[in-house]
Amino acid sequence: MSETDEEFRLRLRAFLTSSHPGRRPKDRADRLGWQKAWLAALFDGGFAGPSWPRAYGGMELSFARQVIYHEEYAKARLPRPLGTGVSIAAPTIITYGTDEQKDRYLRPMLRGDVVWAQGYSEPDAGSDLPALRTTASRDGDVYVVNGQKVWTSAADIADIIFTLVRTGSVESRQDGISYLLIDAHAPGVTIRPLRDLTGDAHFCEIFFDDVRVPVANRVGAENGGWPLVRTSLGHERAAGVMNQAATYRRVLDELIELARERGLTSDPLVRDRLAGFEMRVRIMRYTGMRTIADIIARGEPGPASSTSRLFVALFEQELHEFAVDVLGPYGVLDREDPHAVQRGRWVWGFLRTRASTIGAGTAEIQRNTIAEQVLGLPRDPGMPAR
Amino acid sequence: MDVTGEQHELRATVRRFLAEKAGDSLLWRQMADQLGLQGVALPEKYGGAGAGLTELAIVMEELGRVLLPSPYFATVALAGHALAECGDEAKSRWLPAIVDGSLTATVAFSGADVRACGGELTGTAMFVVDGDTADLLLVVAGADLYAVEGKSVRRTRLQTLDPTRRLGRLELDRTPAVRLDANVDRVRDLAVIALAAEQVGGARACLDAAVGYAKVRVQFGRPIGSFQAIKHKCADLLLEVEAARSAVEHAAATTGDDLPIAAALAAAYCSVVYTRVAKENIQIHGGIGYTWEHDAHRHLKRAKSSELLFGTPATHRARLADLVGI
Ligand SMILES: Cc1cc2nc3c(=O)[nH]c(=O)nc-3n(C[C@H](O)[C@H](O)[C@H](O)COP(=O)(O)OP(=O)(O)OC[C@H]3O[C@@H](n4cnc5c(N)ncnc54)[C@H](O)[C@@H]3O)c2cc1C
Repeated sequence: MSETDEEFRLRLRAFLTSSHPGRRPKDRADRLGWQKAWLAALFDGGFAGPSWPRAYGGMELSFARQVIYHEEYAKARLPRPLGTGVSIAAPTIITYGTDEQKDRYLRPMLRGDVVWAQGYSEPDAGSDLPALRTTASRDGDVYVVNGQKVWTSAADIADIIFTLVRTGSVESRQDGISYLLIDAHAPGVTIRPLRDLTGDAHFCEIFFDDVRVPVANRVGAENGGWPLVRTSLGHERAAGVMNQAATYRRVLDELIELARERGLTSDPLVRDRLAGFEMRVRIMRYTGMRTIADIIARGEPGPASSTSRLFVALFEQELHEFAVDVLGPYGVLDREDPHAVQRGRWVWGFLRTRASTIGAGTAEIQRNTIAEQVLGLPRDPGMPAR
Repeated sequence: MDVTGEQHELRATVRRFLAEKAGDSLLWRQMADQLGLQGVALPEKYGGAGAGLTELAIVMEELGRVLLPSPYFATVALAGHALAECGDEAKSRWLPAIVDGSLTATVAFSGADVRACGGELTGTAMFVVDGDTADLLLVVAGADLYAVEGKSVRRTRLQTLDPTRRLGRLELDRTPAVRLDANVDRVRDLAVIALAAEQVGGARACLDAAVGYAKVRVQFGRPIGSFQAIKHKCADLLLEVEAARSAVEHAAATTGDDLPIAAALAAAYCSVVYTRVAKENIQIHGGIGYTWEHDAHRHLKRAKSSELLFGTPATHRARLADLVGI
């Protein structure tokens, strides 16, 4: 007899609880080992990659089960995958990679043995990605790569950097770009952590100085890298909204508790704001449910799923800023101060969520996309087609 | 909560019908005779289709899109659902006539200052939707609901912001009334959910109008929709309209103890969204949006007055805060 959704949920929960890796180590190196051990345990237990094909070690779950998966995962407070490969590069490899590339890269990525980082942005090419200038010139069966990447999340712990490089002429814009996998440990690669405004070093800058990369590491055609940028793994993103809804349900409850402890919930203005967040966190979940219904009925996520990323980004920024207001003067204390409330998490969150409307496409770029692709408004004359 | 083919069909049918028949004086009877819309969510035993609140919400949304001046909201969403909550006697007395379109009705909630004494009601009720014309008046007095014959009440039509929705003032002076066995809070929850659905329909109509105009209006040699100030506004409005739709669809599918929460949430969220989209629709239309001839102001007026009808968004948020234990 086949397992019901509820049985699946319980089996998953049992696994996540029984193999939970425990509290996050403070030391950076310890933390990396702790995360890697967890990802390996998850993979070996058969619980990694909810949407991934089974052929590459994934679970290939139905959409409804992916949602269950993400919800349980969020509730269990577990480490997320390392780097950006699992969510961004994997779909591209699955769709455009050669069989050899798939066999070689996918499983170790999912198991957390090999960490991937996304080297797209450059100092002069962020939103305007087709302006990128890192060059890869052909020399027999290798490319020689020169240039600089920046704001690369997790590059300091990465083994492979998946990049966009210029193989065409200087003016070729999006038509002269190739998708190249570069060994982060290869000679000529220099990676320097950049401190971000939270004080952490979440992202890095990368310099390529005559780095030799086998042509076999190119995904897709030469000069045909641009269309690969958009690939995403089926409905993974939509299912991810449920993960965020579950996470933010918990975070909001913690914020309400904080306001209560500080005697603020009797203040009508505070109540009004909290009620506003309460509505939005619930709506996040309802939208996720609608998305599921749409996918089941029509095979597509529908318009709400395209707005939900921006919805979440704005929500989390405002939530954290409000939390700092709730702290009053304690909102000025840094994480390191012994008097910091809840180890400074709200203040850190306030700073950290500034990135929500910048990273992975700014809010402005997302609005352009929604306006053009969902509402059908005329294209911005300056923007390349994606 | 999955949207079935039948629900899509219902939406399409109502939309087509309204497009063809709006302005037809026989519309009310045709809604009942041809489509059975009055009975869509009322029990089959009394002639209705026995569908749920989701179907009612779909109809309300479509009515909201076209701003149809019609006793539908008062008769069906307010009174029909209030009666459906009552005992068998009240149901069999009035529901069949509501379903077949021969009776209009309403509920007096807001601004009601009415006392009951020995089967009679005394006092005034303000802001009663279709209160000046409805055949049957259901009046809230204290925690109870009473039925009163429209003919037996002195009533006047209020001059209002929104010309597409009639509001009346009722004066009751020892008016004979029948006490009904209904949970007034629940009746109010159903009413605000239906109103929220209407608001989503109105909001979507405003957004569609704004987007449609932004595609064709050319300034500086470009369609204005290619300017980001306009484009981004539209994207933000879509985000809010879709969120409002999530709130309504969820509320319409909610039963049991969670209903008050879902209702307060939908009321608070959707009313703010509708007003905002209505305002931005005027802005995006520029001078033409400010003219009497253009529909944009009609939505603004409906939006603002709906926002205030059953409690402001702030009161709904306060209620939500109470209900979820903030
Ligand atoms: C925390 C974090 C992690 C990141 N991780 C990675 C990573 O792992 N890999 C990677 O490749 N990149 C990464 N990035 C880089 C990120 O993708 C870019 O920062 C982003 O695309 C914006 O580019 P930019 O910083 O050059 O800003 P710019 O493009 O210079 O934008 C500056 C401002 O101008 C606006 N703007 C620009 N163009 C337009 C337009 N056409 N219309 C309207 N407004 C416009 C922007 O919205 C923004 O407000 C990360 C960034 C952050 C903050």
